[in-house]
Amino acid sequence: MPQFFSNKRLIILLASIIVLVAMIGFSMKDREELSWPEQFLKDTVGISQSLFYKPANSIAGFFENLTEMKHMYHENKLLKSKLDEYAQLSVDVQELKKENKSLKSQLEKEADLTEYKIREASVIGRSPDRWNKFIFVNKGYRDGVKSKMAVVSPEGFIGKVAKVSAFHSTIQLISDNDRTNRISAIAESNKRIFGMIEGYDSKKQALLFKKIPVNAKLKKGQKVITSGLGEVFPRGLLIGTVKEVKPDEYGLTKTAYLKPSANLYDLDHVMILDRSMPQVDENEFKAKEEE
Amino acid sequence: MNRILLPFITYIAFVAESTVMQVLAPEHYGWGFLLIPHFSLVLIILMSCYLKPSFGIVYGMIFGLLTDLIYTDLIGVYMFSTALVAYFISVLSRYLFSNFFVAILLSAAGVAGLEFMVYGLNSLIGIADTSIDSFFYDRLLPTLILNAVFTILVYYPFVKLLKKVKKTIHEN
Repeated sequence: MPQFFSNKRLIILLASIIVLVAMIGFSMKDREELSWPEQFLKDTVGISQSLFYKPANSIAGFFENLTEMKHMYHENKLLKSKLDEYAQLSVDVQELKKENKSLKSQLEKEADLTEYKIREASVIGRSPDRWNKFIFVNKGYRDGVKSKMAVVSPEGFIGKVAKVSAFHSTIQLISDNDRTNRISAIAESNKRIFGMIEGYDSKKQALLFKKIPVNAKLKKGQKVITSGLGEVFPRGLLIGTVKEVKPDEYGLTKTAYLKPSANLYDLDHVMILDRSMPQVDENEFKAKEEE
Repeated sequence: MNRILLPFITYIAFVAESTVMQVLAPEHYGWGFLLIPHFSLVLIILMSCYLKPSFGIVYGMIFGLLTDLIYTDLIGVYMFSTALVAYFISVLSRYLFSNFFVAILLSAAGVAGLEFMVYGLNSLIGIADTSIDSFFYDRLLPTLILNAVFTILVYYPFVKLLKKVKKTIHEN
């Protein structure tokens, strides 16, 4: 029987278990800012990640293109028919935007829940162990990125900025199973149905849309968007479509399974949205109260 | 020269986990299983088996901490598990013949050990929500196969390099 642990080593092992628990406790707290050694490490690794990711991605893309060649003809037909609809739509949108603007100026309404600035970023890596669903992008606080900003791909909402270093940032996808990863959302129909996106079912590959009132009428195929009420994300980013609805375990609310509108695996370029909503200044309030 | 080479190669493997392997990830094609690369762990295990167990602890701590800080949200999980697994396997290798097949078996055992430890710790904290059987079939088995293939690919060139490093250590 080999001697794995002498007494000295056993003590070291026990001490390191205590240190492990302490470290996990330290990092479980919601830390807003990264410490500078962490930032330095993130930036250094980020640079080497960008060196690797782009060539690998372009090679993989080349083979993908070869397989796509087969479906090209049918797709082309479909797209042409869609294009006519699109022209009509874009004209409508222009008209509505103009109308909206003039109405807003009449009301003298300044900011609104749907406004935001866009920053483009490229993906340079993804967390390899699938317990944490993070992607890494090449924009940091030097480019104006702050934590908790919303991140979208062209297809829809994908997550929020979790950690920021000088030139790179880490983005937490909506499929991440973190207690604090919650998004206030609306199912769009004649009446607005409010709920929360909480967690992800990896077996069904669907997001969980919870806390829906029992009497709400959700249909299959209904679109769900961000509500913009959390003061963090803009309103109206597409999250997904309803796949199925069932009552939760207590029967007080309903839970819906959503198919995410964005492909959470095939991400190349993402957009980080900076909501231009001016934060309410507390001092202003106090001054008004004193008056 | 050789002293810089070992950490450098391990670092390349570490970065490749999050970049090259993620481009080729099976989720892109809609397959249901997971391939988790543990290339840096495989290299650390080979190192500590051929040089000495303390290498496993030091490198395991450093690269485990890197994994924690950059790829995950919690600090300490990978740092502790990688160092412990590498040390354990290298002590085990003292009692077995060191040849090609034993090295593959040992590195596979190490990867399985690390996966189980991280799964256990993450289940305690509440990050991992998969059941044990889906963890085993969808995640552990494909992961073991992937890392065994990686071990087979790097074994001969890497062990050659390790023998060179061993010589320089003995000369000093």
